[in-house]
Amino acid sequence: MPEIILQHVTKRFDKFVAVQDLDLQIQDRGFITLLGPSGCGKTTTLRMIAGLETPTSGRILIDGTPVFDSEKGINLPPNKRDIGFLFQNYALWPHMTVYENIAFGLEMLKWDKARIRKRVDELLALLKIEQFEKRYPAELSGGQQQRVAIARTLAPSPKVLFMDEPLSNLDAKLRQEMRTELKRLHSDTNSTFVYVTHDQLEAMTLSTKVCLMDTGVLQQYAPPLEIYGHPANLFVAEFVGNPTMNFIPATVKSASGNRASLSLLGHDATFAAKAPLDGIKGDVVLGVRPEFLPIQPDGPLRGKTYSTLPAGMETTVKLTCGGAMLTSVVFGCVDYAVDTELPLSIVGDNIALFDKASGKSVGFGSVTF
Amino acid sequence: MVHTRDLRHEPWRYRLRAFVSKPANLLLVFFLIVLVVLSLLPMATMLSNMFTVHVGTEKKLLRLPVDSTTLWHFRKLFAGDEWSQVNFWQPLWNSLIVALGSGILGIAVGGTVAWFITRSDLKCKKFISAVFVFPYMMPAWTLALFWTNMFQNSQVGGGNIGMVESIFGVCMPEWFVYGLFPMIVVTGLHYSPFAYLLIGGILKNMDATLEESATILKANRATIIRRVTIPIVMPAILSTFLLIFSSGFSSYTVPVFLGSAVKCYTLSTKMRALIQAGYQGQGYIIAFVSILLGCLILGVNQHFTGKRKSFTTVTGKSGQVSLVKLRKANWPISIVLIIFTAFFAIMPLISFALESVIRQPGNYSLSNMTLHFWIGTEDSAYETGMIAGILLNTTMWSALLRQVLLALVVAAIVGTCGMLIGYACVRRRGSRLSRMVESLAFFPYLMPAMAFATIYLAVATSANFKFLYGTFGVLVLVASIKFLPFASRSGVNSMMQIAPEIEEAAVIFGVPWRTRMTRILFPIQKSSIISGYLLPVISVMREVALFTLLVPYARYLLTTMLFSFNETGYAQYGSAVTLLIILIIILINFVTNKLTGASFDKGIGG
Repeated sequence: MPEIILQHVTKRFDKFVAVQDLDLQIQDRGFITLLGPSGCGKTTTLRMIAGLETPTSGRILIDGTPVFDSEKGINLPPNKRDIGFLFQNYALWPHMTVYENIAFGLEMLKWDKARIRKRVDELLALLKIEQFEKRYPAELSGGQQQRVAIARTLAPSPKVLFMDEPLSNLDAKLRQEMRTELKRLHSDTNSTFVYVTHDQLEAMTLSTKVCLMDTGVLQQYAPPLEIYGHPANLFVAEFVGNPTMNFIPATVKSASGNRASLSLLGHDATFAAKAPLDGIKGDVVLGVRPEFLPIQPDGPLRGKTYSTLPAGMETTVKLTCGGAMLTSVVFGCVDYAVDTELPLSIVGDNIALFDKASGKSVGFGSVTF
Repeated sequence: MVHTRDLRHEPWRYRLRAFVSKPANLLLVFFLIVLVVLSLLPMATMLSNMFTVHVGTEKKLLRLPVDSTTLWHFRKLFAGDEWSQVNFWQPLWNSLIVALGSGILGIAVGGTVAWFITRSDLKCKKFISAVFVFPYMMPAWTLALFWTNMFQNSQVGGGNIGMVESIFGVCMPEWFVYGLFPMIVVTGLHYSPFAYLLIGGILKNMDATLEESATILKANRATIIRRVTIPIVMPAILSTFLLIFSSGFSSYTVPVFLGSAVKCYTLSTKMRALIQAGYQGQGYIIAFVSILLGCLILGVNQHFTGKRKSFTTVTGKSGQVSLVKLRKANWPISIVLIIFTAFFAIMPLISFALESVIRQPGNYSLSNMTLHFWIGTEDSAYETGMIAGILLNTTMWSALLRQVLLALVVAAIVGTCGMLIGYACVRRRGSRLSRMVESLAFFPYLMPAMAFATIYLAVATSANFKFLYGTFGVLVLVASIKFLPFASRSGVNSMMQIAPEIEEAAVIFGVPWRTRMTRILFPIQKSSIISGYLLPVISVMREVALFTLLVPYARYLLTTMLFSFNETGYAQYGSAVTLLIILIIILINFVTNKLTGASFDKGIGG
C-alpha cells in the first residue's frame, strides 16, 4: 500500500530556494497536511510529489517505487504515479459538461462506455451532484464545482489524493461543510490524502499528521495535538493556535535538573519541566496558550484590560501586564470595562520554554510563583 | 541516509531528457531556430548589404567589383548636398510630418467618437459605431484612391477630372489633392477606428465609480473629463498614438497614391525608388533607419505603458455610468457624425463602383458608362493593358486565386505558429528561452513592411538564395514572418487566460500532449484562435508594400496588379479591382463571423 517517502528533496527556482533538503515520510492511509504561510514551499512540495514539478535534487518514493531520483535520473510523469490531484481553482474544463469532466480521465484509460457510465453515476451519487450531470461548470455554484472536481479526481480511484488548498475559494459555512465531507471521504475511500493549506484550523481538524513548513524548511512534522501542545520552536508556536500563544519574555536566574528559577513580568517564578533542562541560561521566552492564562481571583499577576472580545461561546480578553500584551480566554460571555485591573495566573503543565536566541523549545512544564 | 547531488552537476543526458520531456521546450527550441534563420539572418544580410557594391548602377558608378566593401552609400546619402536632401532628409521629414499629423488626427477623431458613443446619450449609436469601424477593414490605400477619385482635377497632377470638379465645377488646389495634407487626412482617418476601438474599450470598461466619486466631490463634467477621465485613458491614448505614428511613418501605399503625382516622397516610397533606380545600398540604409525608428517607438511605448499600466485596470463591477445629456446639441451632433462616417465608409464604395464603369474619367453621364472594365470581352481601345474586363480576364483570376491561396497558406502557418508560440511561451514563462522566442516573434513588427521586403529582396538576390527570387514561396515566407507578431501576441494572450491547472488536470490522467491541445486548450479558446487565423487572411488580402518588390511580375497578385493599373493609368480597372478586394474582405469577415462569432473588428457597440 502507498507510503510516500521524500529524501533530501530540494527545489530551486534560479537562486531562490523553494524547498530545502526535505525529508518526509507519509504513512499509508494517512491524512497529511502541509501547513505554512504563503510562499513556504508547501504547494511546491505537493507538486513535486505529484510530478507536476521537477525537484532540483533528491529522491521521492511512492509505494516503494522511486518516482523521482536525481541520482539515477528517474522522473516518472504524473500519470505513472497513480495519483489524483485536486486543484485550488478546481480546473474544471469549461467546455465540458459535468459528466464529460468526470468521464474524461476514464476515457483516457480506455474504459468502455458502460463501465464509465457506471463509475460516473457512482461518483455523482457519492458527491450528491446527480442533478447537475448535464450542466457546464459555469452554471454551477462554487461548492458544486468543488464537488465535481472531487468526483473527477476520484474517478480513476487513485491510491493517493493530493489537494492544493481545495477549500480556500469557498465561503466560511461551505468550507466547514466540505471539511466534514472530506474527512468522511477519507475514511470511505481508504486512500492516502496529502493536503495543502495555510489555514491552521483546517490542518488541526482534518489531519492525522501536520507537516509545518516555513521558507522552504520543515519546522515540525507531528500529529496536530502534538504540534499544538509541544511546538518545536517559536515559529510553530506562533503559527498554530488561535488566539495566538502568549510569549512572555523571561530571564533565567539559576537552573538545575528539571527546575529553573526565572524572573518574568517583575515576578520571581519557578519552572518545573517534565524532563531535565540542559544548561539553559540568559534570555528565554515563556510560551503560554491563552487557555492556560485564566483570570482567577487569587492569581499572582495583575493585568489591565485593554479590550474584550466576546464571541458567544468564549471571550478573548486582551490585557497589558508589565509592559507586555497578553491574551486570555474565558469560557462563556463576559464583558469587562476598559482598564479594569484583573488577577491572572499561569496554570497547567504544558507551558513551553523557548531559548530566545535560537527560538527552539527547551522544555515543557508548569510555572509556580 | 541517502546521498544526493545537485541536479546541476548531473550528467547532461539526464538534464536533456528532462528538458525534452516537455513539449513546450521542444516548441521553443524549434521556433528559436526558425526565427533566427528567418528574421535575424536576413536582417544581418541587409546590414552587410549597406556596405557592398551591387550589380548595375552602383558597379558602373563606382567602378568597383560587385560585393566589394564600400562606405560610398553612406557618404552619398548623408553628404548634406542636394542628393541627400532630396533622397534622404526631405523624405524623412515628410514621413515624420505624416506620422505626427495622422497620429494626432486619428486620436482626435477616434477619441471624440469614442467619447460620444460610450459617455453621451447620442442618437443612432449602433449605426455610427458599426459604420465608423468599417473603413478599418478596408486597405488604407482605398481611402487614398477615393480621395484622388473625388478631388483630382484639370489643374493638378495628371489632369484627370474627379467627381468634385465634375459635379460642382470646383478645382481644389494642389496641396489639397496631393502631398502631405491628404496623406495625413487619409492615414489619420484610416486609423481613427483603431483609436476608437482602443479608447472606447477603456472608456466603456472603466470603473464608473472613479467618475462618480468625482461627481460626489462636486466636480463638474468638464473638470471630471480633464482631471479624471483623460489621465486614466492617457496611457492608452499614448500607446494608440505611437501605433498610428509608426504605421503612418512606414506607410507605403498612401504616399504612392497621393505623393507620386507631385513627386512628394516619404522614406518608404523613396526606398523603393532608390532600389529600382539601382541604388540598392542607399535603399537598405533607409530601410535600416526605418527599423531603428520602429525600435525607438516601441521602446517609448513600453516605457510609458509599462510604467503607467496600472491606470487602466478595469473592474467593470460598478453599474453603467450616467450618460452625459447632449440636450439641444444631440441631433445636430448625431447628424454630423452620421454624415461624416457614412461619407468615409460608404462613399468610397460608390465612388469605386462609379469609376469602374465610366469610359472617360470625369464624365458621369449615363452615355459615358460601360461595363467593359468588368465584363467586356474584346476592345481594341484598351488592348495595351488588358484585353478583357476583369471578371472575364484570366490574368485577373489567376492573380486573385494566387492572392487567396497565399492568404490561406499564410493564415494556416501564422495562425498555427502564433498559437503554438503562445502556448510554449506561456508554459515556460520567465525562462530565458521563452523571453527570447517571444521577442524574436515580435521583432518583425518593428520593421516597416517595405524595409522587411527589402531585406528579403537582398536575400533572394544574393548568390546562395537565387532559387527564392520571384517565387510563391518567398511571398509565403515574408508574409508569415511579417504577420507573426500579432498572431503570437494574441496566442500569448489567449493562453494566459487558461490557468495551467486546466492542462495539469489532464496531465494527471495521462492525456498525451496532442490530445490536451486538441480536446482541451483549443476548444476553450476557440473564438480567439479563429481570430488568430482570420487576421492574417485579411492582412494578406490587402497587403501591397510587402509584396511589391518580391513578386516576379506586377500582375502576379491582385493587389500588386492594382498598383500597376494605377501607375499605368488604367484607373477604371484599378477601381474595379479595389472594389473586388473590399468585397472579398467583407465576405471573409462576414462568413467567419457568422460561423464562429470571431470578428476582425469587435465593435464596442452603442
